Amino acid sequence: MEHNATYLGLIPLFPLIGALVIGLLHMLTCTKRPLSEKMYGALACVGPILSFFLALVAFFHLKGLPAEERFLAHNVYTWFAVGDLHINMGFLADPLSSLFLLFVTFIGSLIHIYSVGYMAGDKNYGKFFAYLNLFLGSMLILVLGSGPVVMFVGWEGVGLCSYLLISFFSEDTDNVLAGNKAFIVNRIGDLGFVLGMSVLFWAIGAGGFDYLALQANAHNLTSAIGITVCLLLFVGACGKSAQIPLYVWLPDAMAGPTPVSALIHAATMVTAGVYMVARFSFIYAQFPIAGSVVAWVGILTALLAAIFAMFQKDIKKILAYSTVSQLGYMFAAVGVTAYSAGIFHVFTHAFFKALLFLAAGSVIYALHHQQDIWKMGGLKDKLPKTYWTMMIGALALAGVPPFSGFFSKDEILFSALANGHTGIWLIGVLVAGMTAYYTFRMMFLVFHGEPRDKEAYDHAHEPPAVMTIPLIVLAVGAAFAGVLNLPAIFGGSLNVSHWLAPSVVEQHPHVSIWLEIFAILSSVAVVAVGVYIAYKKFGQGAEEPEFTGFAKVGYNKFYVDEIYNAVFVQTYKGFGSVISRFLEPKVTDSGVKLSSWLYQKAGIAFKALQVGYVRIYAIYMVIGLSLMSLFLSQTIN
Amino acid sequence: MYAEWLFIVFSVLSVLGAIGLVLFRHPMSGAMSLIVTMISLAGLYALLSAKLIFVLQLIVYAGAIMSLILFIIMFLNIQTSDLPEEKGRFYYLLGGTILIIPIASFLIKVVKSLPGSQTTIVGNGFGGVKEVGLVLFQDWLLPFEIVSILLLVSLVGAVVLAGKRRLSK
Amino acid sequence: MIQNYLILSVILFCIGILGVISRRNVFTVFMSIELMLNAANLAFITFSRLHESMDGHVLALLVMAVAAAEAALALAVVILLHKHKGNLDTNVFSLLKG
Repeated sequence: MEHNATYLGLIPLFPLIGALVIGLLHMLTCTKRPLSEKMYGALACVGPILSFFLALVAFFHLKGLPAEERFLAHNVYTWFAVGDLHINMGFLADPLSSLFLLFVTFIGSLIHIYSVGYMAGDKNYGKFFAYLNLFLGSMLILVLGSGPVVMFVGWEGVGLCSYLLISFFSEDTDNVLAGNKAFIVNRIGDLGFVLGMSVLFWAIGAGGFDYLALQANAHNLTSAIGITVCLLLFVGACGKSAQIPLYVWLPDAMAGPTPVSALIHAATMVTAGVYMVARFSFIYAQFPIAGSVVAWVGILTALLAAIFAMFQKDIKKILAYSTVSQLGYMFAAVGVTAYSAGIFHVFTHAFFKALLFLAAGSVIYALHHQQDIWKMGGLKDKLPKTYWTMMIGALALAGVPPFSGFFSKDEILFSALANGHTGIWLIGVLVAGMTAYYTFRMMFLVFHGEPRDKEAYDHAHEPPAVMTIPLIVLAVGAAFAGVLNLPAIFGGSLNVSHWLAPSVVEQHPHVSIWLEIFAILSSVAVVAVGVYIAYKKFGQGAEEPEFTGFAKVGYNKFYVDEIYNAVFVQTYKGFGSVISRFLEPKVTDSGVKLSSWLYQKAGIAFKALQVGYVRIYAIYMVIGLSLMSLFLSQTIN
Repeated sequence: MYAEWLFIVFSVLSVLGAIGLVLFRHPMSGAMSLIVTMISLAGLYALLSAKLIFVLQLIVYAGAIMSLILFIIMFLNIQTSDLPEEKGRFYYLLGGTILIIPIASFLIKVVKSLPGSQTTIVGNGFGGVKEVGLVLFQDWLLPFEIVSILLLVSLVGAVVLAGKRRLSK
Repeated sequence: MIQNYLILSVILFCIGILGVISRRNVFTVFMSIELMLNAANLAFITFSRLHESMDGHVLALLVMAVAAAEAALALAVVILLHKHKGNLDTNVFSLLKG
């Protein structure tokens, strides 16, 4: 059923080679005479752009095949084979992974080009691009992997690069701590992922441990094991895609440079969890209970993060909580088995969220690294390109028709309602309204009204073309991508859903058209309400309020970080200090010292045997002889 | 029957001589008891029809080697005061005996497990000069030559060692 | 019958070992070694009688020759040691002590 396509291996290989080359060049030259930034920039962008072209080749190759046969495989080599566990370093391109390939490489290339301008003047310019290429290579391995183990290689790789890039400005300890937090929380999720993989292997791994073999054997899963696998894998997804309770790293991750936030923490890495659930749709579809858990965790995360976003004042933190919230939507979608709706939202979200982050970066760059929205204002005339592209992104995020976000979000809400999950639909609608509110609060405070910080306002200027052109390209995508999955009611034919059909196990329930119209109208209404409230409060300029009561709690993120610190971190630290103050000196150290003391004493004892008198040595020989005779005489009888 | 009595006498004498060697303090007395042992061993060889070896034991061992030892002992003019004080002698003997018991019992067990045989009457010429010579110069020629070289070496060595005094002066 | 000779040989050999390990006098040690060689000779002759082959006699002859050579050299060494240290105690020579 699979066709061979040996160029698939090159898709992750190009960025990885780029990372290696740039890394080596940086290491060898950074102390003596740094290479020119142009060269690093050129080297860095070559890999992602080549991968994008190969992704297009794969896409058109797949398009040329009939729908049931749309699987391209490339087995590079056998990585290891132990007993039943036979893992190949293999790559699989099917409709799902080719869709991911397209937008990952495309947005990755755009963000590389943007970073050429954003990171100008930084002394670790080369290191940044090495890490960024490494990240892209790992993400491509994750997406293209032919089995869970290869996916996990990419999973770990993106986690590592996330850490490296968040703590990129490492002179400031807070950034490094944020990187640590991201890595550690991710690791907790990874434990769940590994456990889920192991249980899966133990249950049905005997017939092969790649996706196609697992799909063929999935009906052998008993319900207890199947639900366990689903929930354990979802723990991994919670860590990587920042759902409750492991979302705490994502807002802190904004300490990294803005292109990093755009690429990793908006468009690509955080969607790996959704990709994973969609990949294992053949298991999740068998156990609706697990799906419900996923969906409810998702929608509650969406609600919580939206509440937080309504009160934040750092522009990047607003966008970070917005990402968490939108990810919640995606999980809600894949939880109610509306996989194509969730994946389509991943696709459109990648465009408009990356756009919003890059535009925010452009604002930050223009105001010389000012991130507090209460110190911005009135930038509409000073930064027109940034303003209009960001507005398009905001409209898409809020879900205003006819921008892409409206279509994808609406598809999710409609699927939830059609599959009977009314509670999820209701919360989703509420969150849509909140999304509109906080998005436009941000837009009004940053670009409208009177400037709150006169001096920064005077020095602001539009960033160079290398930064604004990616914004424009992304804006086009954010605006028009909705056309790809238009439902029948608007005259379209759900192209993306049909494209994804061979990869995911999904049913499309038939419901009356009035339900669909009702869903659409309620989304639009709630968005309008949100925008209106934001306009009333902030449209004419406003001053920073003092938060009290619920707003204060919301601004402090419900004190979740503090609770985690007290419950988990301090306990662990206390445990560690007990070990280092009591256990280590008294138990392990004394054990080690005992053995060395024993050796010394034994050595002194043996030294006493070396007397120097030959007669005594002769006695030793006789002793040996007599012991030997004792032993030998047992054998004679 | 005679043979048995002779055997018992000779073996008792040899063991007594050996014990005397080990127990006497002055080496002269020890050498004397060793001579007793040698002579009784020669007698035992004779009982075993080893005619040549019996004679050679008396001439070479008891005659040459033991007299050499006695000569050196007397040459060094050892007084009782020169002898080392061996205070812990009996403890060492006791310990030694305990150590020896396993060795001895093992060897005796081995020996006892050999297939016993009746003492056959040996033919004429067994153990005589001619027979020994024939075997020595036919089958054992190489070892014979090597031993003669060994004797030469020891001769030269003895001369060198004992003559050092003269050369250094 | 023949076994008695062998048992005697074993006994003499063990007494020789006893002499080597329990006496400190140089001469006594040397003579105990000669005793051990004699015990071995007895064993050779006995086995040669048992198998009715002359090889044992020849070997005993060669052993005697070796013993004589060794006696000459050992006594030369004893004389030198006596000249050096003036007493006949094996415990005095402890240059091997490291």
